[in-house]
Amino acid sequence: MSQFFELLISGLSLGCIYALIAMGFVVVFKATNVVNFAHASILMLGAYLVARLHEQLGFFGALGVAILACALSAALIDLVLVRALRRQGGDQDTLAILTIGINVLLGTELSRRVGTDLLPTGAPWGSEVTHVLGVTVPQTRIAAAVIAIALMVVFWLAFTRSGWGVAMRSAASDPEAAALMGIPLGRVAYGAWAIAGALAAIGGAFFTSFPAAGVNNATGLLALTAIPAAVLGGLDSTGGAVVGGLTIGVATTMAAGYQDQIAFLGRGLSEVVPYIALLLVLLWRPSGIFGSREVSRV
Amino acid sequence: MGGVSSQGMTPGRARFSDRALLEVTDLEVSYAGVRALRGLSLTVSSGAIVAVLGSNGAGKTTLLRAISGTLPLQRGTIDGGSITLEGTSLVGRDPARIVHAGVVQVPEGRRIFGELTVAENLRAGAWGRTERAGRAEAYARVYELFPRLMERRAQRAALLSGGEQQMLAIGRALMAEPRLLLLDEPSLGLAPQLVEQIAETVQTINRQGTAVVLVEQNAAMALEIAHRATVLEVGEVAVEGSAAELARSDDVRERYLGLGRARDIGEVTAVTPVTGRREARPLTVEDVSVTFGGLAALDAVSLTVEPGSTHAVIGPNGAGKSTLLNVLTGVYSASGGRVRYGDATLTGLRPPRIAALGISRTFQNLALSASSTVEENLLLGRHRLSKAGFVTAGLRLPRARREHAEQRRIVAGIAEVMGLGDRLATPLGALAYGDRKRVELARALCAEPTLLLLDEPVAGMNANESQEMARTIAQVQQTLGISIVLVEHDMGFVMGLADRVTVLDFGRCIADGSPDDVQRDPEVLRAYLGAGDSVEVQEGA
Repeated sequence: MSQFFELLISGLSLGCIYALIAMGFVVVFKATNVVNFAHASILMLGAYLVARLHEQLGFFGALGVAILACALSAALIDLVLVRALRRQGGDQDTLAILTIGINVLLGTELSRRVGTDLLPTGAPWGSEVTHVLGVTVPQTRIAAAVIAIALMVVFWLAFTRSGWGVAMRSAASDPEAAALMGIPLGRVAYGAWAIAGALAAIGGAFFTSFPAAGVNNATGLLALTAIPAAVLGGLDSTGGAVVGGLTIGVATTMAAGYQDQIAFLGRGLSEVVPYIALLLVLLWRPSGIFGSREVSRV
Repeated sequence: MGGVSSQGMTPGRARFSDRALLEVTDLEVSYAGVRALRGLSLTVSSGAIVAVLGSNGAGKTTLLRAISGTLPLQRGTIDGGSITLEGTSLVGRDPARIVHAGVVQVPEGRRIFGELTVAENLRAGAWGRTERAGRAEAYARVYELFPRLMERRAQRAALLSGGEQQMLAIGRALMAEPRLLLLDEPSLGLAPQLVEQIAETVQTINRQGTAVVLVEQNAAMALEIAHRATVLEVGEVAVEGSAAELARSDDVRERYLGLGRARDIGEVTAVTPVTGRREARPLTVEDVSVTFGGLAALDAVSLTVEPGSTHAVIGPNGAGKSTLLNVLTGVYSASGGRVRYGDATLTGLRPPRIAALGISRTFQNLALSASSTVEENLLLGRHRLSKAGFVTAGLRLPRARREHAEQRRIVAGIAEVMGLGDRLATPLGALAYGDRKRVELARALCAEPTLLLLDEPVAGMNANESQEMARTIAQVQQTLGISIVLVEHDMGFVMGLADRVTVLDFGRCIADGSPDDVQRDPEVLRAYLGAGDSVEVQEGA
């Protein structure tokens, strides 16, 4: 039983990181209607920068630089590429394929730079563990959970209460009407991309810290599992991103923790669990758990 | 609507000065090379209401888009001329800066943000205003104009009725405290009593110091509240003058108001059908109920459509007319009662099965593909009747090719009857709105239905166009001998066309009979035309 709780807590804390990453994915989709597959490689960029810079700048200094760099790169993708393609009449599908292309390019370049190395992120929590109610939990995971939850609360408040949140949701709902109300669509769009980039950097730093060993050339691939988290919750639902993230976190941790018991399904099941969960949920609800199925009066 | 001043429909004509607020001079606009406005000029004095009239495709909405800076979103360009607000040019500015300068447009079709609450919609309208005090004042003003919005401020806007959504769309625009308000068809699709409320509201807003450009299909209403009016015809100014003068001019009365003209649809000649007459069956609706989240949209509605007759369903906004159509086509499932077509029970069947029984429909808002040609859109309507499987069709086997030629021949025949014969190769996006409505009707006919469901076939059309549509529908009905169920707001249109009329009000059937009987029914007059004070109470249901 104690193994179960240990896995559950560890799964939930991993889930918080997933949720943070999925949230960025949802924000971009809501504000600009782009399914942003480049999110994974931006996450890897964040993790890579933290790993490369923490020796000179310290972990938090490096994280700060990574957040800025990722926010800036994401905003640039919108300003330069997405906008140009949209002007040429590119629709949602074309833009999604564009982001897959960016993901491959950026991901390949980062993998090349990492090579066969394993770069530690230098998180100050190291490999310390804490015992809570007889359950062993790595301290990075506690820090990650606390920071992720705090960020999500701030984000949720901004999204539902602030003028910025209203502008973003209006633009998502009907861009032309939003423009007629004086909402600057361009600013809303690259703002959303920048926020997603920043969230990816933070998520990336924690994703690769203990108990993960560090950044290696497969980090980008691993980061892609955050996409099932977003889709599973519902691409246009921030609440869904949280639930989706937690689900994927717990599911992968459980699959890894009980792998001896489920060995008949083959080794390394935990790596495909996100996609299995995604398939099952989509069969049951095609627009995700909290994805909007339009209810309006006719 | 207790907050709206009800000083009647007489405008305060002496209130505005002659100082020009907005000046449009020799404006030229085109979409992808197609000219939409040709040397159009318009002056709006500060404090005035200026009506812009004209049939569909005359360039009314294009003019508003040019002023509000949203042409690029539709791939339109300004090729010449100028637009100035108190001497400052608006051409080439982005929409946000134009709003900031004090010009706000209420788009056609309301376009409220459905997933946001009413209060959030208003907040979005106040985007450019950073001072809290100014925003609070703007909320107070809007809530005073529209007390209904105050009551519903925490509700999702998508759940508002059509009239309430129009109020929200206007209220949202007022949050920016515009000096010039551009209204695009605010009365579109609203019941007469609501149209009057909107008209009064526009006057109130104007009296509070906002100039208004009012684009309207409902010319009678627009001329009644406007100071000046401009009539557009294919992108040019056809007539310009004081609203009172234009309302008196015989030419304008005939062409744009449909006044002084009997609404009979004239002689209808049956033409030889291309697809052969088909036997319609009786449609019976028995005690059908539909609820959305506890809200009864239809409450034990019953009606019978005789084979080969035209049956109209009318009623104010939110009466459940579209809901009824959606039950008939299987999009919504009824929570009680049943629908039968001949021997078949429709309730519980999926939409494709119902379509296969020979029932097709058109939509209130056009549901056509804009980049395809008229012919391609019509061929899509033949899909149910095409026998070639996707292998034979994909390999272009002779059988599939023969069938395709046959389908094209039938489609061409139907297009001919609908007056679209010379438009088959035209991309749909290049057609005017009235013609597109026609294409939609033609597409529904391509499925060779025995029962045709029409959802507001003349919404957004002027008197001339809707009369022509009535003639087409009558001709189709006589030629093919099919049954038609017609959902409509336009009373006159329905009365000239229907054999029988069912009146819905808040999901209940309040009258059923011949057009003449229904027209005299006091219950109908009260509910539909909004006579008396009971309207306030009903709206909240």
